[in-house]
Amino acid sequence: MTDMAASVARFAAMGTRVELHLFGCDDPAALAAAKAAILSVEDALTIHRPSPATALNDALSSGGSVVVEDRLLFGALLQVDALWRETGGLFDPTLGHWSALTIDRASRRVSTTRPLTFDFGGFGKGYALDHAVTALRAMGVPSALLSAGESSIAVLGQHPLGGGWPLAVPHPEDDGAWLVELDLQDASLSISSTVGAGAAKPGRAAMIRPTDGAIITTPATAVAAAATGAEAEALSTALLVADPVARDRLRAAAPDHRFLFPHAAPVGAERALEPTA
Amino acid sequence: MTDDDFALSRRTFLDRVLLASAGVGMSAAAPWAARAAEDIAKGPRVRIGVIGTGDRGRTLIQNLNKTRNCTVAALCDNFEPHMAKARAYVPANTPIYTDHRKMLEAKGIDAVVIATPLDLHARHTMDALDAGYPVFCEKAMARTIADCSAMVTRARQRGKILQIGHQRLFNPTYLNALKRAQAGEIGPITQIRASWHRNRSWRRQIPPGGTEREINWRLYRDRSAGLMTELATHQLQVANWFMGGLPTRVMGSGSICFWKDGRDVYDQVALIYDYSDGRKVIYTSMLNNARYGCEEQIQGSKGTIEPELGRIYQEVQPGAVPALARMRADVQAGRKNTVPIGGATWFPELPVTTPGDSLGWGEYDETMLQFEGFGEAVRSGKEVPGLLAQAYHASVASLLGEQAIDQGKALAWPTDLVTF
Repeated sequence: MTDMAASVARFAAMGTRVELHLFGCDDPAALAAAKAAILSVEDALTIHRPSPATALNDALSSGGSVVVEDRLLFGALLQVDALWRETGGLFDPTLGHWSALTIDRASRRVSTTRPLTFDFGGFGKGYALDHAVTALRAMGVPSALLSAGESSIAVLGQHPLGGGWPLAVPHPEDDGAWLVELDLQDASLSISSTVGAGAAKPGRAAMIRPTDGAIITTPATAVAAAATGAEAEALSTALLVADPVARDRLRAAAPDHRFLFPHAAPVGAERALEPTA
Repeated sequence: MTDDDFALSRRTFLDRVLLASAGVGMSAAAPWAARAAEDIAKGPRVRIGVIGTGDRGRTLIQNLNKTRNCTVAALCDNFEPHMAKARAYVPANTPIYTDHRKMLEAKGIDAVVIATPLDLHARHTMDALDAGYPVFCEKAMARTIADCSAMVTRARQRGKILQIGHQRLFNPTYLNALKRAQAGEIGPITQIRASWHRNRSWRRQIPPGGTEREINWRLYRDRSAGLMTELATHQLQVANWFMGGLPTRVMGSGSICFWKDGRDVYDQVALIYDYSDGRKVIYTSMLNNARYGCEEQIQGSKGTIEPELGRIYQEVQPGAVPALARMRADVQAGRKNTVPIGGATWFPELPVTTPGDSLGWGEYDETMLQFEGFGEAVRSGKEVPGLLAQAYHASVASLLGEQAIDQGKALAWPTDLVTF
């Protein structure tokens, strides 16, 4: 087994704690590359200090168009554009204004017919972990688990003892109870919830359904697994804010990887909750 | 740097100033400090005439007496009870005056120190400069921005030193704090939260022969901007200093909220000063709760400095995720167990209650030190670099804040100020 100290990194980023656990590789450069990838995404997408994202917001806050030079930011915009379509507009970092946006890939020009601003929020964590995974693959790391705030998790390769990574999403209010257990390999997991310690912290933004502006307060937890962190983040957010019809449509596309758990149902340590139909 | 480094001997104090002001970038950020702590030139002491012998004036006299290069050579005040107290600090044969113009005409002094009510600063300064004397004036500079500018302009026209009292500029704790901030220890500074909260009326007992407006001049708008000029000026100077720039605009609100005793200055103010790149200074002052006292919380992405408490705090790094620690232990033991992880995004615990590290403690003679700097400036004819700009901009910031409160709207930083 690799040296523990050389294969774990913990640091604060994106307003939360990040942990990188690498197995089968004791090259400190691998950890450094993964951390640098995450911090680079944060630098590009943050709206809490001057960044390419705030520059974009400044440029489009009155409408118009702008060329996005930053590679990471432009990549994020392209991914969000695809995910906005996939989720029927339920994932929208502009809170309902994405339809006004046009992205020209060739010129990297982003145009909007109405004023809008971007807040990439949880998407940024998944997107950052994707870039970290890419960096680790390039360094030859065979196995890793990455966590950003415990709401965004990525696994690279197999579990160090073989097979998939057995992950269980805890019930946010009942210790020892699990909402769902998943076996993942080269995949990402995202959890969005309106309850639990993290959701109660001061400063948490409300969950808003972009399609009609409704504030979502119903106690529930959404879980989505996908090939990338970006997709998992978009789907967990969309599941949490979706109305029943849209939620069923989203779940039907991958029922073993997309779940929404209302917290009115009884739970027990031995039995995972039945996901909402 | 430990508390022991800040021992109170005079020499050590000066050494600390030199040490604190010797960091990378400090010569630009605090050019006055190293020069003010240099050895004093040999020669006769600078003879100081003090105008204003109230509480602050007498404090200044005591500090002048500590210097190695200044001596109080004349006193001026038209209020006898104050003058009587002040005379206890000077030789019995020290000339005294009730009219500052007589003192200026008497020619027995080399420079003037002004500690009068705020509305008189400009007149007394102009008169002293016109009479050919260098001037040290207490902060804030003047009652209006126009008068602040006029004082600087007149000093330049007359070719005379004008120095304004801002003792924090010479305080080793502040200098050390700035040095550590400049070294990047707290990351880029994006917000300073400053407050001066007291729980007393600020009203003084009127001695026999005194008048309400003479003794309690701080409580009346025609004489003072109250909290803004008498307290906020100090901290706005610190804010500009640590921000390394000037505000772009200010907005604020004020009220006479608690002490409804006939005063017409605010007893509570709250302001936001915008700086470049979205940085902000948030300022509050009040007179009926002292819990949070006087402090500047200088906040960067990596830490916080609280110079009045003399503490520096690093941002708390998050603890390990327990489930992942167990996962590692399981893997090392050859066990493959389910990893329970996932929920609403983890946020740091608030508020942070870590004790932080000391910036250095001590009772400093920074007021004495700025007088020694003034004395050397008078001797050499060269002002202590950087001080006047700091004071001028702090006074403008405080007076602009008052205007923003009065007008109920955001006001841009003036474009017609004196340049440095």
